[in-house]
Amino acid sequence: MQRRVTEVEAKTGNKVWRAVSSLWREHSYIFVFIVILIVYAVTIQLNGKSFTSGHISSILSSQNTVIVGTMAIGMALVIITGQIDLSIGSALVLCSGVTIVVFNMTDNILLTVLAALGSGLLLGAVNGVLAAYAKIPPFIVTLGTMLIYRSLALWAVREIPAEISGSSSSQFAMKSGSASYEFLRMAFGTGSLRIAGFSIPYVSILFLLCVALFVVIAGNTKYGKAVYAVGSNDRAARLAGVNVDRIKASVFMVTGLLVGVASIIQACKVGNITPASSGRSYEMYAIAAVVLGGIAMAGGRGNMAGVLFGALSYSAIDFIIVSIPALSADIQDTFQGLVLILVILVQTAGPVVKERFTSRRRRSRPAAAAAAGTTG
Amino acid sequence: MTGVSKSFDGNRVLKGVDFSVEQGEIHALLGENGAGKSTLLNILAGVIPRDRGDVHFDGTHYPHATIAQMEKAGVAFVHQELNVVNDLTVSENIFFNHELTYPLGLLRRTEMVAETRKLFERLGVDMDPTRKVGELKTSQKQLLEICRALHAEAKLMILDEPTTALGNDEIEHLFSILRQLKSEGRSFIFVSHKMPEVFQIADTYTVLRNGELISSGAVADATPFSITCDMVGEQYADEDVYRARELGPVVLELDRLTSESFRDVSLTLRRGEVVALTGLAGSGASELMQALFGAIPLLDGEIRAHGKPASGSIRAAMRGGIGMLPTNRKENSVIPDVSVLENLYLAEHSLSARHQWIHNAREIAQYENLRDALNIRTQGPGVAINSLSGGNQQKVFLARWLNTDADILLLDNPTQGVDVGAKEEIYGLILELATAGKTVVINTLEIPEIQKVSDRCVVLYAGDVVAVLDHDQINERDVMLYSTNAMNAAKGD
Repeated sequence: MQRRVTEVEAKTGNKVWRAVSSLWREHSYIFVFIVILIVYAVTIQLNGKSFTSGHISSILSSQNTVIVGTMAIGMALVIITGQIDLSIGSALVLCSGVTIVVFNMTDNILLTVLAALGSGLLLGAVNGVLAAYAKIPPFIVTLGTMLIYRSLALWAVREIPAEISGSSSSQFAMKSGSASYEFLRMAFGTGSLRIAGFSIPYVSILFLLCVALFVVIAGNTKYGKAVYAVGSNDRAARLAGVNVDRIKASVFMVTGLLVGVASIIQACKVGNITPASSGRSYEMYAIAAVVLGGIAMAGGRGNMAGVLFGALSYSAIDFIIVSIPALSADIQDTFQGLVLILVILVQTAGPVVKERFTSRRRRSRPAAAAAAGTTG
Repeated sequence: MTGVSKSFDGNRVLKGVDFSVEQGEIHALLGENGAGKSTLLNILAGVIPRDRGDVHFDGTHYPHATIAQMEKAGVAFVHQELNVVNDLTVSENIFFNHELTYPLGLLRRTEMVAETRKLFERLGVDMDPTRKVGELKTSQKQLLEICRALHAEAKLMILDEPTTALGNDEIEHLFSILRQLKSEGRSFIFVSHKMPEVFQIADTYTVLRNGELISSGAVADATPFSITCDMVGEQYADEDVYRARELGPVVLELDRLTSESFRDVSLTLRRGEVVALTGLAGSGASELMQALFGAIPLLDGEIRAHGKPASGSIRAAMRGGIGMLPTNRKENSVIPDVSVLENLYLAEHSLSARHQWIHNAREIAQYENLRDALNIRTQGPGVAINSLSGGNQQKVFLARWLNTDADILLLDNPTQGVDVGAKEEIYGLILELATAGKTVVINTLEIPEIQKVSDRCVVLYAGDVVAVLDHDQINERDVMLYSTNAMNAAKGD
């Protein structure tokens, strides 16, 4: 009797274990985020404060999450097709400049949104056409446009009169005072939705909606399947009728659109952008978020939901550093770099170590392994 | 070489073969694919060890030949795939790994260039030693490889199908150089499938079949016909799967198709017909099939499917109801990172991209239909494609096209890399599909396969259709005679 009970226990335990291990295999980015979150909670407690939902809310609304995260969704698609986009940081600056200028000139919310999305799409299309149709390696194309887009923004901010750029100090800034400004900056950009005592900023909701949209596109549309197929084996995809060039160009255009969305968030949340300093290394942060999100740099593999957790993990590391008073902000990138390498090390070295461990166990206990083999 | 034997995984590929080449002769080594030619040559060049037998070269016995030993003794292997370094100059290639250097490893460039020039003059080769090899034509690269072997003082050169990439004038040039070297006392082993060339250049020949020595002697005493008969032997395919069928109306018309690899191919195919394209490497058969699917461009001519134009692109071919199962499954068919279901649905998705939303339940139901129809053995639609055996993967890719309702199926080497049982299953499937009204074109080098399934067989040689044989006319000997162009060489005599 007792033996049967333990058997049942073992079975349910097995089931849970199997569910967890499959979650680990396919969605390891969730564990990465949980570990980082626990570390964050512990450091806050050690500093004599208590960890609250407000901390999570601030991770969710930080620039690294909403702005870099939104662009990282596009980066993920580009990486899944086996390409790379280095221009998104510069594109964000140029696109935000256009967005702010259009707002200052028209004071019209709809036109501002269209300008953001339209300019983003155009910048992405330049990358896409050069990479996919002119067959220039994406690394080179986007390295070039990275330089071009930022320098155009730097040049424009000095050429445009201060009443249009909104600032006289080499900066694009939203002109305040109008009702549309109040709506964009105050109601939307810095406001938040309160549900059950938990407040979620509107910009974070926009980011989450973008993630949800692209989880659906990647998993449930023919376009999404084609993106994975192109990244996995583009020859075979072509011979199955997939228009490989069009797919490769389209992911850059989608990234451009998302840069447009990020520009809207930048304009509403921050209210200004400085071409000389804003958005620096954002392409690298986005790549880091994509990698932490478990998406393979070689292309063809990865889950779009990973981008959400990747972006959250990446900004949580920021918060950990800030919450330790002894550390200066200058050391932030060191820790982010270390965590990035550590996570990938665990993901690549983990299976090798596990394989060695199980094979050793199999050798020392062949009977037990055989029994395990029949249940598996 | 005497009594040479070799087995791979218990499979005997060479069964006690004797083989000898005299000094100053050109010896043709002939045999079908898998006859054991390359194994024999690789043993001679020290690339792989032998199980039994002896190798003597220039009076010396080599019990454990290695590549370095045989190279030093004077055996050079000029491979079919060119082994030249494109980013280096001609003279740097000649001296590759044997560079003349000053102390500290600095290269003595001028000396190497001068020595290369001297070598070329002696051979009558017109090539600039300082040019980058990447800029050379394929034929020149071939000559460069031979020159490199000569420079390394090779006494015996193994030329593995050296003429496949060459035009007629270039072949003539190569042959004149070979004759000159022969008169200097060098020896050659010449591997070729082209019978006219063998009779033009070779002095002696050896035919291998299934790892055994079949015949050997002077070329002057043989005919293209006798050699071809020796190559194929008396083999009859069992014909139990083939059944004659009523053919329907014309569904596919090829009108004077021309590309870089074939010329002026015209053909009409009927509903329910199985047509085989065949020809040796370089014949254009595989390229013709790819052009039918729009995967390589046509220079001239038109393809019509169901009376409507279907040439120009893969999409045009797909809209005309054409589907292609490409050769080299791993490179051209498998999407390794996605599931069986996604692999199966890829082509259908790209045809029906107007409706973007995927209905999962509907797709799984359709997957189950196809799985049962084709007897695909998988553990479910969600498993990785690479967890399936080669034969089952191939069936998934066939299902990929059946799922698009393609009624003209192009199968490029469909049984490549699948085991014997799965092969038989695929033959049965091809005939079943044809009976159900599909038109099937297969490109294959395996003649028994052609005999088993096809109503007609189109043989190509060097880009031209040399014969269209009806089912009753298809036999191994004739197909081989046409593929090697021995038929026309014999007529010429």
